[in-house]
Amino acid sequence: MDALNNKLKEKVVDLNTILTEKYGSILKMNRQEIRSFINNYVGHIKKMEKLDKDQLSIYQSKGGIVGVDGSVNKIGGAYPHFVEIYQALAKSTTHRDDNIVLADLYTPLYTEQEETTLENEVRIIDDKRNMKLSTIEVDAAIESVKNHKPYAILMDGGLIRYNINAHDRWMELRNLCEQEGVILVGVIKDIKTSIIGDKIKEVDKSIKDTFYDRELLFGQLDYGEMITINEEANRKEPKGYASIFLRSSLAPTVIGMDIIDSQREYIEEMARLIFTLTPENSRGVPLWLDIVDKEVLISDDMIKSMMEEYMDRGLYERFFISERDKRN
Amino acid sequence: MSVLKIETRINEFLIIEDPHQNNLLGEVVEAKTYNRYIPLNIYGDFVDNSVLESLRALGYNIDDDTIYIAKVRLLNEALYPIQTGSDVRIPEFMEVKDIMIKSSTEEGLTLGVIKNTDDLAKDMDDEFKDLLYTFEEGGLIPQNEIPYILDLKSMHHYPHIGVFGGSGSGKSFGLRVVLEELMVQNIPTIVLDPHFEMDFGEVASYMEEKSIDFTDKFKCLQVGTHVGVKFEDLSAQDLKNLLHAASNLTDSMNNVVDILFKPRDSYYSFYNRMQMLTEAQEEGSLDRIENRINNANDNDERKAWLDRRDLFISYDKTCPYNSVRGIIWRLKRLGNDGVFSKDIKEIEDGLQNGKLIVIQGSTRILQVFSTYLLSNLYHKRRDYKDALYKKTTAEYFPPFLIVTDEAHNFAPKGYDSPSKSILKEISQEGRKYGVFLILATQRPTLLDETITAQLNTKLIFRTVRASDIQTIQEETDLTAEECRRLPYLRTGDVFISSANMGRTIFARIRAALTTSPHTLNPFDELKSKSKEDDDKFLNIIMSKLPINDIELAQVALEIEKETNITYTVNNLEERLKQMVDKNHIKKEETIFGYRYKV
Repeated sequence: MDALNNKLKEKVVDLNTILTEKYGSILKMNRQEIRSFINNYVGHIKKMEKLDKDQLSIYQSKGGIVGVDGSVNKIGGAYPHFVEIYQALAKSTTHRDDNIVLADLYTPLYTEQEETTLENEVRIIDDKRNMKLSTIEVDAAIESVKNHKPYAILMDGGLIRYNINAHDRWMELRNLCEQEGVILVGVIKDIKTSIIGDKIKEVDKSIKDTFYDRELLFGQLDYGEMITINEEANRKEPKGYASIFLRSSLAPTVIGMDIIDSQREYIEEMARLIFTLTPENSRGVPLWLDIVDKEVLISDDMIKSMMEEYMDRGLYERFFISERDKRN
Repeated sequence: MSVLKIETRINEFLIIEDPHQNNLLGEVVEAKTYNRYIPLNIYGDFVDNSVLESLRALGYNIDDDTIYIAKVRLLNEALYPIQTGSDVRIPEFMEVKDIMIKSSTEEGLTLGVIKNTDDLAKDMDDEFKDLLYTFEEGGLIPQNEIPYILDLKSMHHYPHIGVFGGSGSGKSFGLRVVLEELMVQNIPTIVLDPHFEMDFGEVASYMEEKSIDFTDKFKCLQVGTHVGVKFEDLSAQDLKNLLHAASNLTDSMNNVVDILFKPRDSYYSFYNRMQMLTEAQEEGSLDRIENRINNANDNDERKAWLDRRDLFISYDKTCPYNSVRGIIWRLKRLGNDGVFSKDIKEIEDGLQNGKLIVIQGSTRILQVFSTYLLSNLYHKRRDYKDALYKKTTAEYFPPFLIVTDEAHNFAPKGYDSPSKSILKEISQEGRKYGVFLILATQRPTLLDETITAQLNTKLIFRTVRASDIQTIQEETDLTAEECRRLPYLRTGDVFISSANMGRTIFARIRAALTTSPHTLNPFDELKSKSKEDDDKFLNIIMSKLPINDIELAQVALEIEKETNITYTVNNLEERLKQMVDKNHIKKEETIFGYRYKV
């Protein structure tokens, strides 16, 4: 064990060195510099106020807020002997007993079309998962627009991925929202963009590395500050979305928010809503999305017992019980 | 365990609708609530109230996600495991009537309400409605729960009741309610009342017109004043018990009583015999007594010494001087307490008429007297029943109840006391003769174990002492959880563990109709007394104001003349100063000194 540990330790030390080298210049930049760079090139940094009760009550009277989130459970072992189970939930603050729940599943053992080349397995599974999960999430949102008629829908995650993974259904949701006047936003807990980094590269040609927004923004915003990203700087594809960054809690991380272009005028209002719904001492996620997330989540044990109850024991055992499952 | 959408409370009844077995009835023994979002902790985040308020404004109340988890104990064991997912509901009254109500109101003692049964009580039969009030912080509350009716008749099978609870737990009020109910039913009852509190003449102030007049139903009798022991009726054993209760007897003293006490002795004849014997023994020898006889001044004296000589000859060897002195001292002590000045006729008459007889006296006197009284009454009842059995005749004597507070004083654990032996006898075979005990104590640990074991019904109020909780746990069917609740029970809340019910019931004692004479707060008493005095004094001096300091002696004289109350000048001035302090009158300086004025 000791030898292995030393090897591992060396690797970790190396990683630290590499990161220090790469990020040295960025880490050395002072806060003021970064903030003024952002103000000049990316978007205006602005302090937000929380919404007051009266404003929230108006939302409530206009149909409340809906949160949409999905969950994935994987049962079984290695490819292709597993099944993934997807669930999506749309939950309204005003329709307590009217949750919209949709489900789907995927297993390589049964596919609609031929595609069983092993090299592609990871990509295929990812695609399948993204497609199926996005689809049911969007469908749940569509149903919620029809049934709950909410003031706004908060999707868990960026809107762009729906555009990519469930394009047709997404377009339907978009149109429906525009038609019904339902504000549609995506809340991105883990921002993966590099909008600021790209801008830095553009301005300072000497910088070759790509820096991600998450790294750059860490600790740079004050509690309650937001950046409305200039249309010019936001070159994300596909087009049609406006984005902001905001620090919604005392944690130094920054979250992102998307809104569809046609509803850009509500962007600040929605940012304030998210700020209002996020506990001060939290990771920065609006509580409503956490509640939806907690509710949509099913434990693996629950799924297993369901499989055991509703599948033939022989089939279940043959396909989906891995060696790992039997270990204890 | 079952997860419920309905709010459940401890000791509430629930029906579990198992599809494969019949409806199962159970009682909630543990109730908890759970909200998966509270304690406001999701993925390690601490949720602040402002966010919850915001969600509430958006129409979502996180409290609505609270679920109720109840641990239910089935009344009858289920033959099979309960089906997962069975529905649970609150029962209808008719479904629980038989286990909740064992007696009609006419035949039972309506002691209070069964807690947390308000849902069941809604469709309750009218005969069980509006029977009583409970007393809560806000005052009287009309009954909205199922009444707890103690089945009096079941005492025939499950005799004797224990009432346990610390001071302030509601034990005395509980006892008062029991006694009120016994009076309503005209049950002959003896109450030993060392606290002088079991008077039922005073209507509780909160009851207004809702009370019952008990004046003709009870009688307070004080030992030595109203009742006592008729010496002529005593047997040697009775007498020894009495003397023993006054102070422990040695073997030699017991022997003295056996030898010197003659049947039909009066107090004086017995006392004189012992007195004369000791006088003879003080002379020291037969020769010296003979000497006294020979040198007597007159016939009376000679006769007296002759008698003493006879006693000396008969008893000196068997009755040591010190032991005889010991008996004399004890006998005198009882005599001074008035124990031998009256009889128990009034008590017997009262019982014959179905009255509640309250015997009052200090704990020590009661110990002495009850020993005699209880064995006397018990044997009267026993003789009557035995005579019936043997088909001979005996005077009728009714069945009766014996009630006492501080029972551990009458039947202590660990050492003998005269009253203990009779209580023990009644506890063990009283049932046969229809003589029952209701024993209240704040120290069940100190109560004789044989007697505790015979208490078939127990009312257990708040108990804080660990050793008493231990005893209660051993002696009753209270669960460990219920015992853990004992120190925190509200005053008047009570666990009733009864063999008849087969389980423990959590109840609340009803508001008593009458009140103890000791309920006046002593500090209120001080205040009202001094106010009374002040008013009286002001009344006297008002007409005399203003009073100059030089006139004080004159005023004191006038007061004495008019009212016969004597004040010295100092005294009077002291009182006047007090009145100034209390702002009733004023004191002012003048060129001639000072004076008091209105």
